[in-house]
Amino acid sequence: MATTRALTRLAVRRTAVPAVWTRSFASVDTTPREPIAKAGDPSRPTVPESKTSTIKEPTPAKEAKTKTFHIYRWNPDEPSSKPRMQSYTLDLNKTGPMVLDALIRIKNEVDPTLTFRRSCREGICGSCAMNIDGVNTLACLCRIPTDTSKESRIYPLPHTYVVKDLVPDLTHFYKQYRSIKPYLQRNTPPPDGRENRQSIADRKKLDGLYECILCACCSTSCPSYWWNQEEYLGPAVLLQSYRWIADSRDEKKAERQDALNNSMSLYRCHTILNCSRTCPKGLNPALAIAEIKKGMSFT
Amino acid sequence: MASIVRPALLRQACNAAPTKRMASNLASSTMRHASPLSRRPMQSAFVQDALPKASRVAAFHATGCRPILPPLPQKIEGTLNDPTPIPDPAPTHGSYHWSFERLVSAGLVPLCVAPFAAGSLNPAMDATLCALLLVHSHIGFESCIIDYFPSRRVPGVRIFLTWLLRAATVTVGVALYSFETNDVGITEAITKIWHA
Amino acid sequence: MSAPRVLNLTLRRAATPGLTRFTPAGRSVQQRFAATEHISASDASSILVKQRLARPVSPHLSIYRPQITWYASGFNRLAGIAMSGTMYIFGIAYLAAPALGWHLETPSLVAAFGALPLVAKVAAKMTIAFPFFFHSFNGVRHLVWDVGMGFANKTVMRTGWTVVGLSVLGSLYFSVFV
Repeated sequence: MATTRALTRLAVRRTAVPAVWTRSFASVDTTPREPIAKAGDPSRPTVPESKTSTIKEPTPAKEAKTKTFHIYRWNPDEPSSKPRMQSYTLDLNKTGPMVLDALIRIKNEVDPTLTFRRSCREGICGSCAMNIDGVNTLACLCRIPTDTSKESRIYPLPHTYVVKDLVPDLTHFYKQYRSIKPYLQRNTPPPDGRENRQSIADRKKLDGLYECILCACCSTSCPSYWWNQEEYLGPAVLLQSYRWIADSRDEKKAERQDALNNSMSLYRCHTILNCSRTCPKGLNPALAIAEIKKGMSFT
Repeated sequence: MASIVRPALLRQACNAAPTKRMASNLASSTMRHASPLSRRPMQSAFVQDALPKASRVAAFHATGCRPILPPLPQKIEGTLNDPTPIPDPAPTHGSYHWSFERLVSAGLVPLCVAPFAAGSLNPAMDATLCALLLVHSHIGFESCIIDYFPSRRVPGVRIFLTWLLRAATVTVGVALYSFETNDVGITEAITKIWHA
Repeated sequence: MSAPRVLNLTLRRAATPGLTRFTPAGRSVQQRFAATEHISASDASSILVKQRLARPVSPHLSIYRPQITWYASGFNRLAGIAMSGTMYIFGIAYLAAPALGWHLETPSLVAAFGALPLVAKVAAKMTIAFPFFFHSFNGVRHLVWDVGMGFANKTVMRTGWTVVGLSVLGSLYFSVFV
C-alpha cells in the first residue's frame, strides 16, 4: 500500500501538472515561513487553525467517533516564525478518556514532533498543566468532551513564554516560589528536643493549603498576574506563602508578612477569583490571599 | 508541455536552495526516512489542505492590530536557584493603603443610599460623600495606572500619568468644593436632573 | 531489511523534494547525521538567553473562557473608570466653564436634560444607572470577600449572577419609573 502511495507521489511530481493542482499535495511547513511580525516579538499573533493543515486519524475505522483537536504549536528551531494552531483528528474509540491520553496518542501515532510535559498521569505532579477549551487544568484530570461536534482547543498556560508547543517556561514562577522561603523557619528548638509538635486544630488550618502541587494553573489564569507577573507573586505562590504564615510551628510570620507588604507582591490581587475557579486540585487560593490580607490589615 | 512543467520545477529548485536551515531539514528528513517507525513523511505528503481555495488569498490587512500591553521579550535575572528580589516593606502602599481603601469603600455604601433614600440635604453629609468619592476614584485610577503602566515597561508614561492623576484629583477637589459652596450640592443636583 | 521496504524507502527518497541525488535506501539506513558537541555552562546559558528573547507569549485574554469571575471584575473596573472619569471631566469642565462661557450650573443642566425626548432621557439614565448599580453591588460583594466569606466556587457564581440581575432590575426601575 505504502509503495503504491509513494509511486503515486512520484507520478505526481514527474508529470506536468500546473502548480495550482499540485499545491494540495504540498507537505506541511517544509519551507521556512516569512515571518510577518518582527523576529522576537513576544506578542506576535497566532496563526489560526483555518490557515493551517489538518492531520487526520492514522487508522480511520468505520463508525469512528472523530473529534478534532486544535493544538498550539511553536518550534524554537524557527525562532522568528509565528505560533500556529495545528489541527488533529482522532477516533475517540481508540483513544483513552483523558486529554493527556489524546496528546500521547497524537505523539505516538500521528505526529512525534508534538511537545508537552507529562509525568504521573494522575494529577499529582502538575506537569501537564495547560489551557484546555479555555480553562487551565491538568490534561491528565480533564476528560475529553465526548461531544464530537465540538472541537477542542489546547493552548499552553496563558501569558507564559513558550519553550516549545505546549511547554511554558516556569523559571520565573519557581524563582518567585523560592522568594517566599517555602520551608519551616524556627530559632527555638522543639521543647522535647525531638520534633515540632502541633495541635490537631492548628494542623487543620493547613488543610487546603498543603495539597497545592504548584502546577501554575491558578497563577496563569489570573489577569493581574498576566500583566504584572514580574512583580506580583500570583495566587499559587501566595497560597504557598499563606501555608507557612498559617503554620503554628513557623516563627517568622512577621517577616513573611513584611515581605508581602508592598504595593506589588500581594496587593495586585483584585479578587478576580479565576484562580479558585480553575484549580484542578479544588483548592482556594483566593481565600488564602484574602486571609493574608485580613491578617495584615492595620499592621 | 515543457513550458508548463518549468515553473513548478523552478519553484521546487528555489525551495531546495542550500540554506543552512534547509540543510538541517534535509538531514532530518533523511533520518526520518531512515527510521522504519516514522510515518511523518507520508503523513505530511497526504495531509489535506483544510483551507478553502478562495481564502488562500493573502489577508487584506496590512497593519496588524496592536496588542494590549505587549509583553517584553523574556529576560530572567540570575539563575533558577536565585529567588526573585523581595521588595522592602512599605505599609503605606501595602497594608495601610488596603485597609484605608476598604474603609473608604465601606463608608461610601451608607453615604450613597442615605441621601437619596431619606432626601436629606445635610451639607456636611454631602461634603463627606464628595470627599470619599474623590478619594475612592483617585485610588481606583491609581490602581489602574499601577496595573497597566508598570514602571518596568513604560517608566516615563507611568510618572506622567501619576502626576496627571494627582493634578486632576486636586482640580476636581476644588471643583467639587465650588460646586458644593456655589451650587446646590451633588445629591441635590443629581436628584433634580434625574427628575427633570 | 526486507526487499519491499527497501524499494519503498528508495521510492520515498526519490520523491522527496530537495533530494536530487538518487541514493539507494539500503546503504544509508544505518548512517547517523546527528552529532553531539560539548558546550560549556556559560555558552549554554548564553544560548538559553538568546532562545528566551525569541519566545512568543502564549495567548491569554483572547482564549480564556468567558466566566462570571473575571468578566464581572473587568466590568466592575470599566464601570468605575467610566463613572469616575465622568466625574473628573465634569469637575474640570465646571471649573473651566466661567472662562469658556459654558453653562454647567444645576438649573441649566436640569433645563437641558428636561428638553430631551423621553427615550433619550431613559437611555441616558440607563447608561448611568447600570454601571452605578453594578459597581455598588459588586463593591459590596468585594467587601464581603475582604472579610473572608463567600469564596466557594458556587457561591461566587451565584453572587455574581445575583449582582448582574439586581443591577439590571435596579437600573430599569430607576430609569423608567423614577
